[in-house]
Amino acid sequence: MLEITNLTVAYGPIVALDNVSFSVADGSITAVLGANGAGKTTLVRTISGLVRSRAGSVRLDGRDISRLAPEAIARLGIGHVPEGRGVLAELTVEENLRLGGLSRADRADRQAALSEAYELFMPLAQRRHLPAATLSGGERQMLSIARALAARPRVLLLDEPSLGLAGRVLTQIMARIKQLVEDRKLSVLLIEQNARSALSVADDAVVLSLGRIVAHDRAQRLASEEGLRHAYLGF
Amino acid sequence: MQRFIVLTLNGLTEGSIYAAMALALVMIWRATQVVNFAQGAMAMFTTYLALFSLERGAPYWMAFLVALLCGLLLGGVIERVLVRPVESAPPLNIVILTLGVLLVLEAVAPMIFGGQIRSFPAAFSIVGIKLGSLQVPFSAFDLFTLASVVFLMVLLLLLFQKTDLGLRMRASAFNAEVSRLLGIRVGRMLTLGWALASLVGALSGLLIAPTLLLYPTYMDQVLVFGFTGAILGGLDSPPGAVVGGLAMGFSLSYVGGYFGSDLETVGALVILVAVLMVRPRGLFTLRAQRVV
Repeated sequence: MLEITNLTVAYGPIVALDNVSFSVADGSITAVLGANGAGKTTLVRTISGLVRSRAGSVRLDGRDISRLAPEAIARLGIGHVPEGRGVLAELTVEENLRLGGLSRADRADRQAALSEAYELFMPLAQRRHLPAATLSGGERQMLSIARALAARPRVLLLDEPSLGLAGRVLTQIMARIKQLVEDRKLSVLLIEQNARSALSVADDAVVLSLGRIVAHDRAQRLASEEGLRHAYLGF
Repeated sequence: MQRFIVLTLNGLTEGSIYAAMALALVMIWRATQVVNFAQGAMAMFTTYLALFSLERGAPYWMAFLVALLCGLLLGGVIERVLVRPVESAPPLNIVILTLGVLLVLEAVAPMIFGGQIRSFPAAFSIVGIKLGSLQVPFSAFDLFTLASVVFLMVLLLLLFQKTDLGLRMRASAFNAEVSRLLGIRVGRMLTLGWALASLVGALSGLLIAPTLLLYPTYMDQVLVFGFTGAILGGLDSPPGAVVGGLAMGFSLSYVGGYFGSDLETVGALVILVAVLMVRPRGLFTLRAQRVV
């Protein structure tokens, strides 16, 4: 379980997250919605240790991880698919994927993770020995997600996975993630601008506006609240 | 024609040493985006340590190994103790820091080891090999120089391309943030990168010392030639550094042989300026242009 308690983050005088609290239960998907600048990316960057919080805590199964280094947090099983430029363009597709599995000790397990990734993301298999720089935007996004999954995380932070992906591919990826959520009790924090599609896969949803939580409820219920939809979600 | 062969062989040997220096610079550039101007002085210092061990009765290869290991250590310590605290400062600060290390090492070395010019023994004969009755202008030591540089480069290539550790090191150099998100201890990888680069530099110091003789600033010109070679290769490409270093060896040998050795340094400058004017990104830019 990922618990975020009274989290406050500021860049100098600008408060990016203001007293944010919610939790993501094991085997569930929580969508984080909101306009540009609402603090969504800051939230995931703070969870994975790239940004230091000013106050509050982030706990993974009761353990406070908010003062750990990003690499230590990743090793505890928090996978982060960063927005946009997540792939190492200079390395090959396969090297990128191998990096995902490096934290796993078992070699057979790493190999299995590789095959699994290629099975799920066919276009990557064809380009496994090419530099990731040659991939299209959508393929890079696939690679970034596949790499995070290869680490077999307990918590997955997805920052705008829909960016650059065709709708059909996104549906496929989300179906796979949904399956992992059920089978392996993976917890997912899904950041999206496209609220409608995020709410269709999420169990819970949090709506951020200017760094504060303005709504937190079951995803379905939020989707049906017309006032909220108009005010914050734009549909 | 014979003169040309002599100059070519000479260029090959010296070029391999410049290639090692260029490679050391490129490894650090790739890891931390800093040109380590102290690279030559560090190699000077470790070569003095080898001489120091020899004078205390250590066998030659032991002294050789001492210098290489001290190189490894020195690189790691400088990264950890001096570079790390200013990691997030503008790159120029770190460059100035490396210049500071250069000055300190060149000032401290004569205090410890004496400032006079010393000779440094070669591992093998420096007289040309005899093939039947023909004496070729290529000595056993030249062969050793070439072989040891090639050997070290192959080892590094295998490390970087074939091992998980090498993959982690490359990832850290390309994108520290993404690497950290993948659980890679980037700090350790950077320390290791500096350490390995400094080991390569130390090798170049040992190999050129019998030719240049040992004094506190003897590596300065090797640094300049190696740096030019690295720029020639594009500064971020290890194969480019090797080719660039070799190219420097050949060109300087020809310039020195045909126009007089006084012009070698000028020759290096001409090459540097020409490359910067014609192909400022170097002849071998390995890194693909990022497509956004």
